[in-house]
Amino acid sequence: MERRDRRFGWMLSAPGLLLLGAVVLFPIVWAGLTSFFDYTLLMPGYDSFVGIGNYRMAAGQGEFLHSAWITLLFVVAVVAIQFVIGMVVALALNDARRGKSVYYLILLCPLLINPVVVGLMWRMILHPTLGIVNWLLGTVGIAPVNWLGAPDMAFWTVVLVDIWHQVSFMVVLLLAGLSALPTEPYEAARCDGATAFQRFWHITLPLMRPVIIVTLLIRMIFAIKTYDIIYIMTRGGPGVATDLISYFIYRRAFVSLDLGQACAMAVMLLVVIAGMTAMLWRAMRQVGE
Amino acid sequence: MASIELRSVSRIFGAGAQAIRAVDRIDLRVEDGEFMIFLGPSGCGKSTTLRMIAGLEPVSEGELLIDGVRVNDIDPAERDLAIVFQNYALYPHMSVRKNMAFGLKLRGMAEAEIGSRIARVAETLGVEALLDRRPAQLSGGQRQRVALGRALVREPRAFLLDEPLSNLDAKLRSVMRTELIKLHRTLGTTMIHVTHDQVEAMTMGTRICIMRGGEIVQVGRPQDVYREPVDTFVAGFLATPPMNLLPARLDVADGALRLRIEGQEIALPLASRPGWARHAGRDVILGLRPEDLHEAPVGAATAALDCTIETVEALGPETILTLRLGRDGTELAARLPPEGDWRIGAALRLHADTSKLHLFDPETTRSIPGN
Repeated sequence: MERRDRRFGWMLSAPGLLLLGAVVLFPIVWAGLTSFFDYTLLMPGYDSFVGIGNYRMAAGQGEFLHSAWITLLFVVAVVAIQFVIGMVVALALNDARRGKSVYYLILLCPLLINPVVVGLMWRMILHPTLGIVNWLLGTVGIAPVNWLGAPDMAFWTVVLVDIWHQVSFMVVLLLAGLSALPTEPYEAARCDGATAFQRFWHITLPLMRPVIIVTLLIRMIFAIKTYDIIYIMTRGGPGVATDLISYFIYRRAFVSLDLGQACAMAVMLLVVIAGMTAMLWRAMRQVGE
Repeated sequence: MASIELRSVSRIFGAGAQAIRAVDRIDLRVEDGEFMIFLGPSGCGKSTTLRMIAGLEPVSEGELLIDGVRVNDIDPAERDLAIVFQNYALYPHMSVRKNMAFGLKLRGMAEAEIGSRIARVAETLGVEALLDRRPAQLSGGQRQRVALGRALVREPRAFLLDEPLSNLDAKLRSVMRTELIKLHRTLGTTMIHVTHDQVEAMTMGTRICIMRGGEIVQVGRPQDVYREPVDTFVAGFLATPPMNLLPARLDVADGALRLRIEGQEIALPLASRPGWARHAGRDVILGLRPEDLHEAPVGAATAALDCTIETVEALGPETILTLRLGRDGTELAARLPPEGDWRIGAALRLHADTSKLHLFDPETTRSIPGN
């Protein structure tokens, strides 16, 4: 009986598994294989095996290392700022007695917009001459800002746009964690004489630790893979100021046409993300316990 | 130690037409060193009252005084009361030692003093071996002790206990009941204990405050409340099985009070309850405790009631019979000695101790005084 049930289960999941194998597993295996060959789009083929040559070349390449550094800065900036904003908003919403659903709706709006649309929208809003932001600044006598044209400014502009787009994700997850916390320890702490800040520091933060870890890891994984906003808003520029790793790999593959090296870089990125996913998995199991 | 006084205190949830009075203008004074029990069914307002005293719920109306000082707007921490919650409310991420030390550290107490207080209390409660464990590693009884310990180390002016025994099994509850009584005797600190368990109420408290629908129904020493319930609610709430409440008709004839209950009659001298004569010719509710029904007449003040046995519960030291008056009349219970051969469906003549009868007015449900 149990065997028959199991066979039936496999039958039901087979189409989905086949599809997943075709669109997920096959590209990963193919990329892994290609990363060991000198495979270019000009001369596609598996004639010249280079071993870990592509990996060694990527690791020693200044552009790649710069891209990895920019990505690290980007991830730390967006995740840290989103966490602080997300926690403050979640704490405020957790205490809100009325209109919670309205706040939720407003907060979730950016998250529902496609990243490409977000990029296009903000490119228009931040346009140096036609954008509404510079016009508003002009009305109070501030000179127009070249939001996406100056290297330092472009990086922070992209960071801010990503924060605008993704912060509600952080709010929703942290709020879910906060509303699941038991109320009694807070009441006990009030009787023990803890101030609001002491309650946050000694009760909320330790109790929220597993949720915070999960939230940060999820956001970090998504931030590392950021591609669409960069493609739409800056194309990695000006210069290489916003050349995040995903966009760099894309350029290596489809501009430089060096698929072998791009695949090696993609595998390296995959290893980093897989490592973080393993940590996420462990953290989520902790939350469950 | 502290006296606690509630003057016309109310707790109102919501506003306007949807306002709910969870506690409705209650007056109560808990004396210094007293062990007061708040007893009542779920939703009667006993926990809300306790939480108002603790400062965890605002007082909507009236005045709350601790040692004669109005504390309505004073923060819970400044009231210097310790509360033990029903589900213990321990800090799950802290060890037992840190749980106990938390409140003392916040008050800026020296480490040495904190250490010695924890050691003293841990020894009293027998939790020395658990000090480095976390709440998740403790059993229900151990958690309960730690929650109590956390309150004890504070050496507060009064202890507020919000159904702390209700999550324990029957045996452990009985042990902890005794320990709390001993603790109160040793410390002499004011304690207010919320419970819906009448055994706890009867055995632990110096006084019981019985609540219903946000109001205080009766306050008194356990035996006084048991012997002289002010209405049918108190009569029916205290003890298991509760007081039998039988519809009856009261008349006075030939110098005697005659209670007719479904075709049967109980007669008692008019002089024994002159106050009842004022209700002659009216319907009343007769109250009769199960232990005041006997198999044989007890002295002169007895009256026979013919019943039919419906169930027999042999509890060991006693047997509880559920009966029907006559063949299929009102249900009543009798608490009888264990040695008896009762068969379900058999007829049984019981003798009511007429000196222990109670009468209640069916309209107001209030007790009718005998004098």
